Amino acid sequence: MGPIPVRSVVRAGLVGGAVLAYLALVGLVERFAHLRLVGEPVTLGRILLVLPLFAAAFGVARPRVVAGERRVAGPRAGLVAGALTGATAAGGFAVAVILADRIDVARIRQVFIAVTPGLVEFVTFERGLVLGAAILVGLGLVAGALGGLARTGDRLVVGPAIAAVTTVIVMGLLQRIVPVAMIQLGFEPDFLYSPRTRSLTWGGATGLLVLAAGADALWRRSGPETRRRVRAAMVEQPAARAGILLIALAVLAVLPLLVGSVISQVLGSVMVFVLLGLGLNIVVGYAGLLDLGYIAFYAFGAYMMALLTGATLNTTTGSAAPAWSVDLNFYLAIWIVVILASGVGLMIGAPVLRLRGDYLAIVTLGLGEIVRVLAESRWLQPLVGGPQGMRGVTNAAIGSFGFRQPQRFYWLALAFVILALFVSWRLSSSRIGRAWNAMREDEQVADAMGISTTKYKLLAFAMGGAVGSLGGALFAVQIGSLTPASFQIIVSITALAVVILGGMGSIPGVVAGAAVLIGLPGLLREFEEFRLLIYGAVLVAIMILRPQGLIPSVRRMRELHEEEAEQDAWVKRFAGEAAAVAAGPGGALGVEDEDLT
Amino acid sequence: MGTEQIREVRLGRLERLPWRRIILIVLGATIAATVGIGAYRTVTLPEGQGYSADAWADFIILGVAQGSIYALIALGYTLVYGILRMINFAHGEVFMFGAFGSYFFAAAYEESGFLERQPVLALAIVFGSAIAISVLVAVLLERIAYRPLRGAPRLVPLITAIGASLFLQNTARGFFGARSRGYAKPGFLDGQWEVVGLGFPRVRVVVFLVALVSVILLTWFIAKTTTGRSMRAVAQDSEIASLMGINVDRVIVITFAVGGILAGIAGVLYAMTFEAVNFFMGFQPGIAAFTAAVLGGIGSVAGAALGGLTLGLLESLGPSLVLTGYQIPSPFQLKPAFTFLVLVLVLIFRPGGILGTGEAEKV
Repeated sequence: MGPIPVRSVVRAGLVGGAVLAYLALVGLVERFAHLRLVGEPVTLGRILLVLPLFAAAFGVARPRVVAGERRVAGPRAGLVAGALTGATAAGGFAVAVILADRIDVARIRQVFIAVTPGLVEFVTFERGLVLGAAILVGLGLVAGALGGLARTGDRLVVGPAIAAVTTVIVMGLLQRIVPVAMIQLGFEPDFLYSPRTRSLTWGGATGLLVLAAGADALWRRSGPETRRRVRAAMVEQPAARAGILLIALAVLAVLPLLVGSVISQVLGSVMVFVLLGLGLNIVVGYAGLLDLGYIAFYAFGAYMMALLTGATLNTTTGSAAPAWSVDLNFYLAIWIVVILASGVGLMIGAPVLRLRGDYLAIVTLGLGEIVRVLAESRWLQPLVGGPQGMRGVTNAAIGSFGFRQPQRFYWLALAFVILALFVSWRLSSSRIGRAWNAMREDEQVADAMGISTTKYKLLAFAMGGAVGSLGGALFAVQIGSLTPASFQIIVSITALAVVILGGMGSIPGVVAGAAVLIGLPGLLREFEEFRLLIYGAVLVAIMILRPQGLIPSVRRMRELHEEEAEQDAWVKRFAGEAAAVAAGPGGALGVEDEDLT
Repeated sequence: MGTEQIREVRLGRLERLPWRRIILIVLGATIAATVGIGAYRTVTLPEGQGYSADAWADFIILGVAQGSIYALIALGYTLVYGILRMINFAHGEVFMFGAFGSYFFAAAYEESGFLERQPVLALAIVFGSAIAISVLVAVLLERIAYRPLRGAPRLVPLITAIGASLFLQNTARGFFGARSRGYAKPGFLDGQWEVVGLGFPRVRVVVFLVALVSVILLTWFIAKTTTGRSMRAVAQDSEIASLMGINVDRVIVITFAVGGILAGIAGVLYAMTFEAVNFFMGFQPGIAAFTAAVLGGIGSVAGAALGGLTLGLLESLGPSLVLTGYQIPSPFQLKPAFTFLVLVLVLIFRPGGILGTGEAEKV
């Protein structure tokens, strides 16, 4: 098999099998067993069964460095090694399934609650243990061979193929949105989505496959040239830029009308998290201060908005007036909230200024928890309502036009998001933004260069706090009532995941991060249960495989490359590997590596 | 660089230092006064409103037991920090997995009556299973999440650790379910022992003794064995240690494993104290133990043990002693806030911890 050692094949196979077993034990496979994507047989559960097999083979066929020489496996070697890897993974998993069945599923279920007779049936394709295991191994051979080919084959063939399959899966997952939007636009969705199974029809899926593959192939052939021309036009003609911006704005503005109120609700939450992400991005991405207590600002913004607009406390008997409140107009209150929140930012920032990065993270985490504990406590109950919380937050009405209704809330949030986007964008290339970057890269050097690190750190906390509180204030308007349950530490971590996924310091990254991490689970209610599991996996996978994020900021990318030039062994290693390793459950395979040093 | 900027630097330096001092001194004085007045008012509360002497004794016993569990977890943070200079944020989850894993043994033995017939043997197996599972999780964590990031910028492993913590927590939720489960303990641990007129709940005494023995064994391990010596060498300078023929990767794995052993023991002790396990039980003790490690001086074994006990006592005595004086309702609700406040204050006033140097390490 040339450059692919048998040991690696066996090891990758076993890891793949373990990942498969993990997905089954944690409950993902069964949860999605009946979420149909294409027709009846292609369900997300089945895709989850195939994906680790594919990924293991994809990982095994990577280029290796043997005795200082980089060796790339050919398609034949990739195919054989991949097929063997896939079969090993599937075989290992099949053995585990048979063992589980022998031991007695009911007894295993007392420990692992996801192990049910239904799961065993599903993973053996309802054909009994022996035949099911054989089908599994066969599937492993095929998926593995494809995975091996995907790594070693001709890019002009593999690229479009992967794009096509991904498109079909994504479109299948969007089965609740796309048909609704199509109907709103006056199209008949039945040819694409079957009204009976809700999944893609076979014809529709085939069409999508061909379309996506064609588009990808075209892009690959003429993409660089087109991109260059578009970029040149953008630089030369401000009018073109303004035009594109306007079109984008118009699309964003009419979006809620197309997708209906349920999805608008999700879009509204995405907007709130874009605000949170933008604020945190200033602190973490620009200034390099890891703030895990961002929830403090979010909660502060929400409760302050409630108190400033005359909300009442929930009590067991009805409602009561808080110990202190005023009844202001939303459009006045929001600026007061923002100004106070930047003050809170200064107050939180001042005592922790001299702490080193990781200590800072833990201290801010603690401060965030203190806020939640206080909100829940009986001590502050007369002010913020304790566990029962508050209700009757303003709906930010202009005249009689209130903004609580999902579509209207989206517009309100969009307006503030655009404001925050503008501020973030202007900040990033301003003198302040550059001072932050310098500080992030090397505090002592920045200090020596005449940057007052105290001033700029405080400024980062204040700005971040202001934007974060904006998110909280809008959240209060969106739901109208507040309870401490909405202000768990997990909000801080979600905001962090939004920033990290998109890329620290990258504004488009924040938007994309929020869309993926908040939008997708919101649209696919089935994911809700596994949202946090997936966030955790995303944080780990991004840090290991692609620390600059999905849409890295240009400057950050340049920095990472400079470090590479400077013998930073870690960045060097990752730069060579990361590009080739796809994210996903099998992504960890890419780092399972001793041959490549 | 223009002259204007140079002046700014000088002025900045001159202005910054005294101001910081002044703010810190004022802050420190305010806190000391608040604590002092609160404590005084609590102690001088009229008869019947405050706490009796027995109640204070209970608080102290509770604090010591809780503190010894914190100490065991804190050792895991401190060992890893000493060697890798990273905060293993997911260590609380290692502890949780140990407790949860051993639950199934404890529950099965309770059902079969083995727990009452052979309590010592049963407990040994329960502890053994917790240790095995915690070690497994800790070592996998190191292998999958941390090893690829050796030498990465500091924040990278920390973010990974947060992700890993979330991932492990929700893995436990997916594996074992979201509900809390009652943890069985043998009957001889119920009730209390009477010594000099004070009632010592048996569980708490056992918790303290087990923790004490574990810390003594760990100290011996680090001080006397070859492996312990190589751990200390790697903590001092991993590069030189590797030149001296120490397999640094192996030492790191062993460090995680030792942390896992202690976390497993702590998991069983915690579960027996509170008689319940659930998937989010690792978060609060994890943070508290980290606080304890920082409080004692992170990187130091004695510091972690001392910090754990100190924090346990502060947590059990602090809210009732200080907050009752201000007539704040349900002071115990604010206990987590109290823990974090201690952490924040330690880091502000004495970042090196009780046994540390008193100065925060720069960069």
